Amino acid sequence: MDATVYGPESAPRLALNKSPARRILEAAVRSPGFKVGMGVLLLLLFAMVFYPMLSDVSATTINVRARFLPPIGVGDKWIWAHPLGTDQLGRDILMRSVVGLRYSLFIGVASVFMMLMLGCGLGIYAGYRAGWRDTVIMRITDAQLSIPMIILAISILGVSTPTVQSIILVLAMSGWPLYARVARSVALAERSMEYVRGLEVLGASHWRIMLLYMVPTILPPIVFIAVLDVARMMIFETILGFLGLGVPPPAPSFGTMISDGRKYLINAWWIASCPGMFLALALLSLNLIGAAFERARNQVFGGSDGSQ
Amino acid sequence: MYILSYLIKRLGQGLFIVAFTSMVIFTLLRVVPGDPVRLIVGGMAPADVVERVAKDMGLRDPIPVQYARYFGEVMLGDLGRSYVRPQNGMIVSGGQFIDPTTSNMATVSSLIAERLPLTLALGAAAIFMAITFSFPLGLAAGLYPHSICAKLAFFVQSIFVSIPNFWLAIVLIFYLSVQLRWLPALGYQGPSYIFLPALVLAVEISPVLIRALSVSIAQTMQAEFVTEARVRGLPERRIILGHGLRNAAVPLMNLLGIQLSSLIGGVLVIEYIFDYPGLGQLTVMAVANRDFPLVQGIAILTSAVFVLINILVDLASFSIDPRVEL
Amino acid sequence: MAASEQSPVLCVKDLTIAAARTSRSILDNLDFSIQPHEIVGIFAESGGGKTILSRYLSGSLSAGLEVLSGETLFKGGNLLGGTLSKGRRGVHNGREIAFIGGNPQASLDPTIPVGMQLVEKLQAVKPDLSHAQAKQKILGLLDEVRIPSPRNRFYEYPSQFSGGMMQRAMIVDALCSDPVLIVADNITRPLDVTVAQQIVNLLRKMCELHGVAALVLSSSPATLLKLAHRLLVLQSGRIVETGPVAQVLKSPQHAYTRHIVDSTPRIWNLAKELALPEAKPDADDILQAKNLRKFYPVRRYGVTQKGVFVQAVRSVTFSVKAGESIGIVGESGCGKSTLTRMLAALEITDQGHLELLGRDIASLAAQDLKKLRCTFQLLLQDPYTALPPRMSVGRMIEEGLLIHGLGTASQRRAGVHKALVDVGLDPELENALPTGLSTGQMQRVAIARALVLEPKLLILDESLSALDQMEQGRMLALFTRLQRERELTYIFISHDLAMVRRVCGRIAVMYLGEIIEVGSNDSIFEQPRHPYTQALLSAAPTLEEIPATVRAAIVDGEPPNPIDIPVGCSFASRCPRSMPICRDIAPVLVQISINLQVACHAVTAQEATLGSGETKHFENTARAS
Repeated sequence: MDATVYGPESAPRLALNKSPARRILEAAVRSPGFKVGMGVLLLLLFAMVFYPMLSDVSATTINVRARFLPPIGVGDKWIWAHPLGTDQLGRDILMRSVVGLRYSLFIGVASVFMMLMLGCGLGIYAGYRAGWRDTVIMRITDAQLSIPMIILAISILGVSTPTVQSIILVLAMSGWPLYARVARSVALAERSMEYVRGLEVLGASHWRIMLLYMVPTILPPIVFIAVLDVARMMIFETILGFLGLGVPPPAPSFGTMISDGRKYLINAWWIASCPGMFLALALLSLNLIGAAFERARNQVFGGSDGSQ
Repeated sequence: MYILSYLIKRLGQGLFIVAFTSMVIFTLLRVVPGDPVRLIVGGMAPADVVERVAKDMGLRDPIPVQYARYFGEVMLGDLGRSYVRPQNGMIVSGGQFIDPTTSNMATVSSLIAERLPLTLALGAAAIFMAITFSFPLGLAAGLYPHSICAKLAFFVQSIFVSIPNFWLAIVLIFYLSVQLRWLPALGYQGPSYIFLPALVLAVEISPVLIRALSVSIAQTMQAEFVTEARVRGLPERRIILGHGLRNAAVPLMNLLGIQLSSLIGGVLVIEYIFDYPGLGQLTVMAVANRDFPLVQGIAILTSAVFVLINILVDLASFSIDPRVEL
Repeated sequence: MAASEQSPVLCVKDLTIAAARTSRSILDNLDFSIQPHEIVGIFAESGGGKTILSRYLSGSLSAGLEVLSGETLFKGGNLLGGTLSKGRRGVHNGREIAFIGGNPQASLDPTIPVGMQLVEKLQAVKPDLSHAQAKQKILGLLDEVRIPSPRNRFYEYPSQFSGGMMQRAMIVDALCSDPVLIVADNITRPLDVTVAQQIVNLLRKMCELHGVAALVLSSSPATLLKLAHRLLVLQSGRIVETGPVAQVLKSPQHAYTRHIVDSTPRIWNLAKELALPEAKPDADDILQAKNLRKFYPVRRYGVTQKGVFVQAVRSVTFSVKAGESIGIVGESGCGKSTLTRMLAALEITDQGHLELLGRDIASLAAQDLKKLRCTFQLLLQDPYTALPPRMSVGRMIEEGLLIHGLGTASQRRAGVHKALVDVGLDPELENALPTGLSTGQMQRVAIARALVLEPKLLILDESLSALDQMEQGRMLALFTRLQRERELTYIFISHDLAMVRRVCGRIAVMYLGEIIEVGSNDSIFEQPRHPYTQALLSAAPTLEEIPATVRAAIVDGEPPNPIDIPVGCSFASRCPRSMPICRDIAPVLVQISINLQVACHAVTAQEATLGSGETKHFENTARAS
């Protein structure tokens, strides 16, 4: 006669047992790389949001009398009103960099979000259902991958005036295959797990399994790729601006700023370099955060040392 | 025998992919606003001339009809003729009236063939530099994950990946070429002109190589058969070279196959900045000039290269690891 | 078997290993020695330190462990090169001391052919051998360990080797350097019983033939009984008893040893009469399987091969009456898993049909099949992978109700509550996450999840294999109670004969996609007819004397490749009683007596010659049991 009842006291303190996602988060937050990256990023975000409200300097107004002013401390013509100097049309570089960062980040995040949705959706479907659906979707992915982003961009953006929406669209179209592949490989591995069998026996439909079970499983690896991709998309956006396919003037874009500044490298190097450094800081912080997550993940999942 | 049938199957699929890609580009070019004929005949030409030329060029037909015609020609090996580049090699600037259907335009194939070697040289040099730099670093980082090498690799990788390629190009041009006059920068007049562009490209692709290699090696060295190999008496060097690298190669190659896309994009930008007369620069100008056949031809070339390289990667993976599912 | 009086090969004195920076010792004052040509066995429960000892001897102790004291002498000299520091790899590894582990499939590089890796190892440890000489020696050894067509298999990859074949290859790997000592760590754990029996006999023979001493670490007393000369029993890392193996296991002195011997499940000398569930005489068939078949196409190089199939299930016919417990036993590759999937309606049979509660599965519309699922459920082996991660227990159990839209929220909560109580879990565990629970608790959650739909039939696929003996006992008691309370029918699918002996009224034996014998519990165990059943039973790990009716029938080799099954009886190639007809015509299940069917020409022929007198005898025994 089975009289044993298993109660909470026979199981270890449940509050202490955290899900893997929680543990990865905590490990990542503790690492120095994360702290530095997050610090820099928060600083930039703060500047991005508040600086334009605090300063009344414009990013677009041309002021011919204040052209080519150097940043603080360089030469003898600098003024406090323009901490990073002015460009060839007298516009304040700091303000332009801050506004440019806004565009950059927005485009980066929005495009990554779109490619995440599209890529993961297709990837999970392909990986979970397998068979011919998988082959078809994979070939579509191949086709998309065989069109380099640049060619797609100059085909679409180069022939008419680019807008923020069209830039986001182009970036999303070129980036979703990566997410599809990752989501697919995770889904492929998951579908042969025993618990999926159990769910099928209970009578769960394919969609139920995909939405309620596959999606939460693919999120951890995808999230950290997404963080790094925001940085990558920001670089692409800048490249597009550089090629003349970016956010149209007078809106400031890192790409156009650097492209314009090229001509004045010898005499007014700050026009190209300052925006470049702003961008590099943003990218570096994103990369540090992303790398901290990756380290944390490897630590939590792979770091066991082979005991008995 | 089976390899042959697999090859045929993949090539068939590849053909389909290339055709699909070319159709997408073809349609995009014609759907997005902006009339190429205007640009070609020049702003001065009267409207009826524009219409006549457009009709003769076939640009007023419905797009599927145009594509069918194009596809047929491509199958016979004819990539068409450029809209703007005449055979004598000089682009006529706007203002002058030219009729592409009558004058002798350069063939797309010859234009591509002319520029291809330079781009290949650039790509090869960049890959060579990147591998020479990334391999030892990535390998050391993967084998000794807590060492200085690993930290150095991480540091290098983070920095390189945060530098936009064109920014680096500008800075290098400014310092190395203009200020110090060590290396030539723009254009091409000899092999030394390859160096700077290749360097910038190498910096762009190194982070991915380093990361992929170190992660791949680290994971492989943790496999059970590696620890078993030590217990069985195999010397460490043999384990790393004969087994570790071998097993790590497969995921690595797969990743690199996907990265090819970004490499091509990088080449384009680099050639543009450095005014390097390769395929990349040709592409940028072709799009700016609305030179449809040229853009289409280059798109076909790029996607064909991509497909072929991926097939090669899959075959190579299979030859190393027979468990790979083809 | 007497150890010679020469100096010992290995001498371990006072070895204590603990987790670093704690006083929690894993091995405590170990002290033993191994004489030349002697096979010493060490018994320890899972996690009891066997692998740690093996790692220590190879000098690859992990960083979290420290050697607190002790000295180890090998052939008189210090083992680890004079210092006890780990990190200095043992110089004898792979040479004088060879190691064989418990995971043969993962022991070699999967991308290089097996033979080449063996030659690589040999050349690494004996550099003066030429490639040709090394290859010669390896081929010779491959032949000695009875790997068929060694010249061909030399070039095959590890993934093409079965577990048993791979373990033989690892024995070759160990022997090729002419070692003085072999350390074998849990080498039979991943293997099927018949294969394990072969490996045990092989290792013993090889040691005798090559004059090698051995240290065998195992958590299976039955294996040690067959393999070792002398036995050491470890409890919590300390030696509690030692002596000649038969003596220690037949008449244990220490309480712990006695406990271990008593816990080893009995197959033949049962402590008490079995109370096996039986169907009521007029009960309906809850499940009827007729000629189930499942072939899978083979893909090679990305292309589906025409006409080539993996014949997973070839022809299965049986029926299950309501209220009974039937067991389906077989080794890996027999098609159990595919059959399970078909019984659980996860796959449809290629031919024949499957009826559940009188309804043909294949003919049901999707909606009807979904509704029917409430009447039968599946329980899997490893609860950790069989239950979705990151979900609370209550939500997991509720899943079935949610899928079928049964009941309001409060009704569902009540259902979950009841299910938890029924399986003996505290309802407060509702909000717990799986990560904190023990395997036993997890398996109960899995049962609760299945029960919440109130099924009539439960299919249990190796559901007890992940549990230890004590937990298995409790779980079996739970199953019995549930069966009584809810009038359940069970189908047990297992490779564990001892477990099936305790619970199943009827047993079916599967081999290579077919059922080759079906009979009552007593009939199968006490009078097995089919030669494969006899071999299976004789190989079952037990400390008892195997009864004469089973006969110590050892089969050689391995089952044929399911892609390439020969014509005729699939067992003929290994069968000691095969006749010419066996190679031509495949036998079908023949009713031998009321409760017994066997598919074997030899058995059918034998029964025919026995005549009517013997038939009466069988009828009598059938009624009596």
